[in-house]
Amino acid sequence: MSDSDRAQELSEQPDRTGVERTDPTEADTESETDAAREPDRKPKSERDAITADEEKDDARKIVTGEARYTADYRDRFPDLANGKVVRSDIAHGYVESVDTSAAEAMDGVDAVITPFDDVVPDKLYSSSGQSYPEPSPWDLKVLREHVRFVGDPVAAVAADDPEAADRAARKIEIEYRELDAVFDPEEAFDEDAPQLFEADEVENKQSGADYSRNLESGFEGELGDVDAACEAAEAAADQHVIQTEWETPYQSHCVPEPHTTIAYTDEDDRHVFITATQVPFHTRRQIAHLFDVPIRDVRVKKPRIGAGFGSKQEMAIEPIAFALHLAAGRPVKLEMSRQEEFTALRFRHPMQMQMRTAVTDDGDIEAMDLYTLSNSGAYGTHGMTVANNVGTKPLPLYPRVQNVRFAGDVVHTNLPMGAAMRGYGAPQGHFAVEAHMDEVARRLGFDPIEFRLRNAVREGDLDRSVAILKDGDRFTRRIRSCGVRECVDRGKAAIGYDELEQPEEDHLKRGVGMALIAQGSGVAGKELGAAQVQMNEDGSFHLQVGGVDTGTGADTMFSQIAAEVLGCTPEDVVVIAADTDLTPFDYGAYASSTTYISGRAVKNAAEDAKERLLDWGSKLLDEPPNVLDTGDGGVYSERTGNRVSLEEIGYKATYGDDEREHILGDGNHSTDESPPPYGAQFVDVTVDTETGEYELNKLVFAADCGVAINPALVEGQIEGGEHMSLEYATSGGLTFDEGGNPEVLGFRQYGMPRTTDHPEMETILVETHEPTGPFGAKSIAELPTNGVPPALSNAIRDAVGVRLTELPFTADNLKAALDERSADDR
Amino acid sequence: MSHMEIELEINDVERTVEASKSDSLLDVLRRNGYTGAKRGCDTGACGFCTVHVDGTPVKSCVEPVTKVRDASIETIEGLGDQDDLHPIQQAFVDNTALQCGFCIPGMIMRSTALLKGNPSPTEQEVREALSDNLCRCTGYKKIVEAVLDAAERMDGGTAVAADGGKAGDSRVATVTECSVNGNGCDCVEGDQ
Repeated sequence: MSDSDRAQELSEQPDRTGVERTDPTEADTESETDAAREPDRKPKSERDAITADEEKDDARKIVTGEARYTADYRDRFPDLANGKVVRSDIAHGYVESVDTSAAEAMDGVDAVITPFDDVVPDKLYSSSGQSYPEPSPWDLKVLREHVRFVGDPVAAVAADDPEAADRAARKIEIEYRELDAVFDPEEAFDEDAPQLFEADEVENKQSGADYSRNLESGFEGELGDVDAACEAAEAAADQHVIQTEWETPYQSHCVPEPHTTIAYTDEDDRHVFITATQVPFHTRRQIAHLFDVPIRDVRVKKPRIGAGFGSKQEMAIEPIAFALHLAAGRPVKLEMSRQEEFTALRFRHPMQMQMRTAVTDDGDIEAMDLYTLSNSGAYGTHGMTVANNVGTKPLPLYPRVQNVRFAGDVVHTNLPMGAAMRGYGAPQGHFAVEAHMDEVARRLGFDPIEFRLRNAVREGDLDRSVAILKDGDRFTRRIRSCGVRECVDRGKAAIGYDELEQPEEDHLKRGVGMALIAQGSGVAGKELGAAQVQMNEDGSFHLQVGGVDTGTGADTMFSQIAAEVLGCTPEDVVVIAADTDLTPFDYGAYASSTTYISGRAVKNAAEDAKERLLDWGSKLLDEPPNVLDTGDGGVYSERTGNRVSLEEIGYKATYGDDEREHILGDGNHSTDESPPPYGAQFVDVTVDTETGEYELNKLVFAADCGVAINPALVEGQIEGGEHMSLEYATSGGLTFDEGGNPEVLGFRQYGMPRTTDHPEMETILVETHEPTGPFGAKSIAELPTNGVPPALSNAIRDAVGVRLTELPFTADNLKAALDERSADDR
Repeated sequence: MSHMEIELEINDVERTVEASKSDSLLDVLRRNGYTGAKRGCDTGACGFCTVHVDGTPVKSCVEPVTKVRDASIETIEGLGDQDDLHPIQQAFVDNTALQCGFCIPGMIMRSTALLKGNPSPTEQEVREALSDNLCRCTGYKKIVEAVLDAAERMDGGTAVAADGGKAGDSRVATVTECSVNGNGCDCVEGDQ
């Protein structure tokens, strides 16, 4: 029997989960719900504004240089002061004294602040832009007396111009009492290791914290009985237990616009922040709590932002800017330097992972066992939650496996802090899981793709592994849309999987590798989006939405969703977004939530307004609302074909004789659902066996994000995500000397891929319909950051038979692996 | 700050601007309202601040303003308006070759210089010419496509298809000077 026959046979077998009783959605109510939602599913011919490559609404101001980012608002503030942060140059110790006298005596210096000043709150907080109360520990102070890494902020200066601020910052003298530091996460675990946090220096409600061992969090979850399954497999003649180990480095967001904030107090005595943030509403709440001011007196405005990728899912610099503003009594702009971005801000957590599976000779996975040791760095922002996602994102690729365990430890070291970064643990997890699966297939003689598809997720599966760390079955999910197999089929064809030609030169070997990928659409049970639609007299609309466009094109997507419901064009929807004074609430742009959560809130708001449009249409057309619909700029009758324009409705509603109404709609969205988008990443590589150098010939990514609201923008998300994933696999990474001093200070040392480093890329969109998403949409933003490390490791294994397990893949490591194998062969 | 006055031509307008000796061209441009050029690194490593000085693309963050006295500066603001985009700007819009947009003004100024010197570049030549300008959002795919599309729109593409001679000449001149930055590059910044 061929592999594909076996896969076919398996696919005919009944679902092996045997856990129907834990299904939170009864089958009959589910089908009813689907039927009720059926109007949401539109054949392509009936779509107006959605699934069109609508021009990005800010495209023209971007290409003309008129788009305003935070630092571009400087001209609105004639008396703007410029901030500069003074950072620790030791890895661990206490600040004994700070001498600010020389700095304060300098011309043009407006304020100098230290941890000992009254304007600087002496309170613990978490900088993570998460829902309240943050699951991350409260372990930060705005300025730090106890410094824990080279780069910790100790003091700050505000001055008339940036040059004066720099000079003054250099005049500040800090004396430290140094402590021993620890840089290796395994050593940090030792009983004798230097301890980063005393008991009164952190408030942490996470599971398994033990600061005597620098443990921020330890967690474990299990389905079935993994040890029993592995023991049985070891004893059985027709089963195998295979264990592999994987290691990943720090990655920088390389966020184009450095973190920048302007903080001021307006004429109404309200505190205003123009700031590059993904989380305006969380930041408003956190500033209010930290500085003990009412939420109503804080306004956070997000202008255009030069991307975030998670680095701005953080209140990273706003508190320092605000304290400087309070001390200086003037508006303050605080803009990070690129060196600060590379040494002191936020990063992807380095991790060491172990993956073990028990597999039968037939290719069935009996057990999966994943462990991660995450280096949280000096502080715990997103430490536990990122580590959680190492397992809960990739393990659901194989939801029918009965025995699954996932455990992790999150450990502090005296290095920069990990935080949220696009993918949020999933890039690490997919490297371990998807390279492991490939290795298992190759060792056992299966085709790596057939092996994966035999076990991989299908529509209708019940996924328990996504909730493996949670009590109860509230977050167990039914998979309602799954395009994994079409992604694989079309990706295989595009990469030429079955007809790869080897180079003529003997020392060059070509191979192809694939990784399956899954992500989520928002944080299940911890999201809220809201929006409001207001009609103007001329039939156009204003849409106020809390959702945050970080540069992805979310504002354009919002206008398309609203237009599809209201029957106008996207250009007739003016989007006002992400200003805590002007727009409804939103949790912010993270966890790939913006289309699925905020977009659904927009749809709900538009449908609310649509009811009023139909009501007015009914009056004006003298036909019942239930035969009316919106479209082509008006309300029309499906029965008679009569129509009235939105403009006529707008004027009649606003200025009518008998009756008047401002046509409004509001919408909320919150849910326990987080449907996974799926993808397949393919890599074609040629390895030089003499040098270990390798060249990528082509990347193919096939994505199932449900219905792509704006396909061109979706492609852009995929290609940009692959860029980050390519970097993770092939370059980047941070290094430190023995004192914990950063060695990577800028782009030059870091190795972010350039135009000439990118191979040919092909992007494929596989449409499925997710019944819980707006017009069938799931998410796309993070999905494509997960695939290149495992797919490239698999491609190199295919080409030359050796397995690379440590990122980034260097020519030296590959050469060493080739040499080691030749030595073994002799 | 020790102030002095510098005369410049910015987008065909003569300007006298205040500056200090340590100011970069980027400092001066941004202080005077030309905020299209972005500050991404202050070390000449990202290209977000790329403008033209006497027709040559330079990274304005590492260009001392004292070095560009009396020079002619062209910034993104001098290219086209939202209602009347330059063909390169239009190609970036039509190809969705932008996301957050922070790198785009520099990317467009670099592309403008490329197409001036080489109206019908190959894909590889576009990649080499833009290799000094970073982008974190797009994977560069649509950006490269936009520049090739712009060359078509500006007739460079058809010129090379119909008659390789004319376009080929200028291409040779460009490559001889510097394969990264085009004509007039001193290869200090290009070499990274």
